[in-house]
Amino acid sequence: MTEEKPPFLGSWTRVYTAVLLYLAGLIAFCGVFGRIFTP
Amino acid sequence: MTTLDWAVLLLTLGFIFAYGLWKARGASSTHQYLLAGKSMSWYPMALSIMATQASAITVISTTGQAYADGMRFVQFYFGLPIAMVIICMTAVPIFHKAGVFTAYEYLEKRFDAKTRLLVSIIFLIQRGLAVGVALSAPAIVLTVIFGWSSTMTTVVTGLVVVIYTAWGGIKAIAWTDVQQMLVLLLGIILALGVAVHLMPADISFFDAIRIAGAANKVNPLTTTVDWNDRYNLWSGIIGGTFLALAYFGCDQSQVQRYLTGSSITQSRLSLLFNAVAKIPMQFLILFVGAILFTFYVFEPHPVLFHSTQRAQHSSLEPKYAAAHAERASAARAYIQGEEEALQKFRAANDEMQQLRTSTGVNDTNYIFLSFVEKYMPAGMVGLLIAVILTAAMTTISGEINSLATVSVIDIYKRHIRASAEDHHYFRISQLATLFWGIYAIITARYAQNLGSLIEAVNMLGSLFYGGMLGIFTLAFYFPRVGANAAFIGVIAGEIAIFSARFFTDISFLWYNVIGCAVVITTALMVEAVKYPSSQR
Repeated sequence: MTEEKPPFLGSWTRVYTAVLLYLAGLIAFCGVFGRIFTP
Repeated sequence: MTTLDWAVLLLTLGFIFAYGLWKARGASSTHQYLLAGKSMSWYPMALSIMATQASAITVISTTGQAYADGMRFVQFYFGLPIAMVIICMTAVPIFHKAGVFTAYEYLEKRFDAKTRLLVSIIFLIQRGLAVGVALSAPAIVLTVIFGWSSTMTTVVTGLVVVIYTAWGGIKAIAWTDVQQMLVLLLGIILALGVAVHLMPADISFFDAIRIAGAANKVNPLTTTVDWNDRYNLWSGIIGGTFLALAYFGCDQSQVQRYLTGSSITQSRLSLLFNAVAKIPMQFLILFVGAILFTFYVFEPHPVLFHSTQRAQHSSLEPKYAAAHAERASAARAYIQGEEEALQKFRAANDEMQQLRTSTGVNDTNYIFLSFVEKYMPAGMVGLLIAVILTAAMTTISGEINSLATVSVIDIYKRHIRASAEDHHYFRISQLATLFWGIYAIITARYAQNLGSLIEAVNMLGSLFYGGMLGIFTLAFYFPRVGANAAFIGVIAGEIAIFSARFFTDISFLWYNVIGCAVVITTALMVEAVKYPSSQR
């Protein structure tokens, strides 16, 4: 079994970094969403 | 249910299972039956992994949880993407290259046979306890809402699962999971649409969210530091990471999914899809619960959604109805920007909550289906019931398949009959699937009074996952730790977790962190005593 490159972003390190940045974005969204609608 | 609902229910279920069985035709070896011949691409694996987690409990209980406690449960999943990245970096390539059927098979390659046996038994106990809860979820709720026989619902659901799981193996499971996930998402979006559509004409979609927010239901992020608080940012990121690491890295019901991948890349992509999609999906399901709360702010309803318990508490109804009218009026005033309306709204809401609490009945699992039964149009009720039944079935099928795999590969083939024809193990795998299916049906009868079912399942998992995570961490990252030290470490870890459970108030999300830390520390100490640094 060979270890291939990911089909996007060029390397697995970049893919993992993108996933973690996405998580940070989701957490920020949750914070903003709560603040907007909770008095 | 109407005739149209029954038609939709039976057609949906029939199509999903026929499709799954058709895709899995021709399995005749253990490699095909348990690992789908390592031929799967990322997207059925990804949806199958999501479907296995998204049980009937997810649909029934998570919406009720948001209704009662708000959306903060979503923080439980914040650690999942972190865990997925770690697993993609370590466990996926290690398991693939080791060429194993089970995660525990790898432990014998790394440590010894007794460690593999111990962890296999821990898995069989933990997953064996959870499978009954998963099967009981639809039965107990459908019994109350529609008056169906609890025994019949459990037996019929269980038997259908056993038939297609025993016949088609993991490939049938994966392809039925794909269809189930799509139906689940469709059902949840339809339920949200109906709840919004049925709101009073003067309440807009954003007003509905504001009203839920006024009752503190729109709270997907809480940053308070409290060890006894189950769901906040910190318990989600730290505790959630450890729980997800244990679940996806050490639990055979998940590991077996990505072991079916045709390459390391396909397996990694399936896990990373979950890392990206899981939190939005849980957010959506919790959001439905929060919107249902606002729907019931304006729609009169009894104190309890659990219809058979309702009569005993009928004396509370007049007071509850008065508080409801006051709350609805205050909610409208709040939307119109009147001062002091918020305080009135919260006071009335607190009074209603106290009346519900005074009954001593936890009926959060009945809130969503009560809405479905009473307010969804004909045809959609059948679809939502199909969602709940297929969600239960796909979770149970994954669990009994993994229980059968560990029973055959780690116990039977390793310790009872090591050298037989592959066809023999194939037949034994089918029999083991049958056994665990019947076991699930029997134990489901005892899992009916556990409060919020989703918490019960996560609590059960947390009692055992810390020990399992600890030993896999030792295996991957501590090459100097030997078999005996690892074995003693697991025992110490489990003692620590059970002590935390029975002698402290620490939230269960922290058990995995505690267990894992104790396993690693104990193993390192044993290794240090055995081989002082001067002898190395």
